[in-house]
Amino acid sequence: MALPTTHVSRARSTSASFRLSILQFLADPQWLIPSMIAPIIFGLVSFELFRSAGPYYLTYAILGAGMMSMWGQTLYGSGWATGQDRTWGTLEPTIQSPTPYLYVVLGRVLWNVVSGLIGGGIVYLVVVAVAGGPPSLPNPVGFVLLFLFVMVSLAAVGVVFAAFYVYTRYAGFIQNIGEFAFYVGTGCMFPVVLLPFWAGPIALIFPPTWALDALRYNSIPGYTGFSWGYSWDLVGAVATTAAYAAVAGSIFHRVERHVLEEGSLDEY
Amino acid sequence: MATERYAVETRGITRVFESRKGFLFREKTRTEALKGVDLAVESGSIFGLLGPNGAGKTTLTKILSTLLIPTGGRAEVLGHDVVAEAEWLRPRIGLVLGGERGLYNRINAKDNLRYFADLYGVPVAERERRIDEVLARVDLSWAAERRVEEYSRGMKQKLHIARGILHRPQILFLDEPTIGLDPKSARETRKLIRSLVGDGVSIFLTTHYMFEAEELCRDIAVLTKGRVVAHDSVPGLRHLVGGDRTLEAESHGFDDREVESLRHLPGVSKVVSEEYGPWLRLTLRVRTSETTPDDVRGALPGHPDLMVRERQTSLEDVYLDLVEEEAA
Repeated sequence: MALPTTHVSRARSTSASFRLSILQFLADPQWLIPSMIAPIIFGLVSFELFRSAGPYYLTYAILGAGMMSMWGQTLYGSGWATGQDRTWGTLEPTIQSPTPYLYVVLGRVLWNVVSGLIGGGIVYLVVVAVAGGPPSLPNPVGFVLLFLFVMVSLAAVGVVFAAFYVYTRYAGFIQNIGEFAFYVGTGCMFPVVLLPFWAGPIALIFPPTWALDALRYNSIPGYTGFSWGYSWDLVGAVATTAAYAAVAGSIFHRVERHVLEEGSLDEY
Repeated sequence: MATERYAVETRGITRVFESRKGFLFREKTRTEALKGVDLAVESGSIFGLLGPNGAGKTTLTKILSTLLIPTGGRAEVLGHDVVAEAEWLRPRIGLVLGGERGLYNRINAKDNLRYFADLYGVPVAERERRIDEVLARVDLSWAAERRVEEYSRGMKQKLHIARGILHRPQILFLDEPTIGLDPKSARETRKLIRSLVGDGVSIFLTTHYMFEAEELCRDIAVLTKGRVVAHDSVPGLRHLVGGDRTLEAESHGFDDREVESLRHLPGVSKVVSEEYGPWLRLTLRVRTSETTPDDVRGALPGHPDLMVRERQTSLEDVYLDLVEEEAA
């Protein structure tokens, strides 16, 4: 009998997890609601909300609804999938495999980013269809790049959130409480500067706050966000995203160790 | 500590679970699941771990398969520490926890196996062939493309086993592998387990089915209340509880004097009385062939309805004796 393979490619594990996410998405019709139907509703609601917000209302509407759609897909979905692993009892065999769980989560986050982009695309098409034409973007290339970066920043937070789902079966409960506070607090729908002053420092802990402000600066002429302006928004976005990625990289090993000590992997 | 002679070796393994419940999780409970387990399991054999519910079998299985860190003591699998060298061990360990959970139900069996083959690093070039091979081995080829949610309990159990052997582990931990299987499937599973040993795999099996352990296992340990109360071959265990032979006497009633007289027959190590319906059964463990059914009949005169039979002491007898002794 041949000896088992002892080296497991991290890229292969991530790609396996990505593939599994797609298979599960295609196998379960309930996913059509958050990924296909919700963006249409968000686009229509956002269009009505922002239609009196000045000449760049279409951009506001697309960003607001797009972020709302992607937030759920990219951030919430990453943690939720790990919660599902607990419920289905697949967390134990996955953790017992030679692949560090972080790489499984990365595959899921990657899929959630793709899924979030699909949602963002649907929002764009809906708003353009309702408005009768595309928004005017002063810097389309910058818009696309920053849009992708916002996704990366959401994904970085998503990976950290996923670690909580490994850590405790109560993570879903905690995330449900914080879901909308986080959504509003990071400026997904409205700029953070519109929030009470005390909300600002809390919001700055999260990478999407910086990335979204930079995206608005880039896409909406005359936009007044954080006083430090576009460049420092970019610096803050990169720094906080890197910090979350670093935390994610180190936290998983400790969380895995913790659950093996606690014996809580099979709790759901 | 461990040599290649042993697939599993443990020294004083303890495991304590602490949990909180109640309002604001103020109520703390502490459960000592394992209280110093010492075991040595020879490589290339099937080892059986028996014990009542809550004895600590699954806890020990999870510790040995790197899914749980012991509170105290030391455990080695294939000569490597299960905590410090978990990374080395994981590709070499197969684990079958079984049950309804533990599989991705919305996708088919092949996709489940592809996912785990990738996580276990089964070479890409071999993956599909290997998946077909293990599905055939557990007789699930015909349902390979069906969603797992359409599977019966027994089919899921087989798929768990297929996943456990997919990456050709050197040691396979099977936690009650035939539970929920129909007799035919259970027999095929036992055949599969035997064939794996032929391939050089060491098997660590927990089961509630005594005949299964007796049929498969070279060595057996009985775990009760977190302690190993016996560890030997089946004949060794029979000897431990007082004899290879069991004599059973049944009638509508025996008095204490009669029971006491049986205890003094040659070679009788133990007499247990048990009521069922209107009958009373006396079970005698007999070490030698000196005492025969006729001797028992002679010691119990005045019972026209007396029935005496002789049989070999079964593993179930041994198990019940050990568990009851521990409980007492």
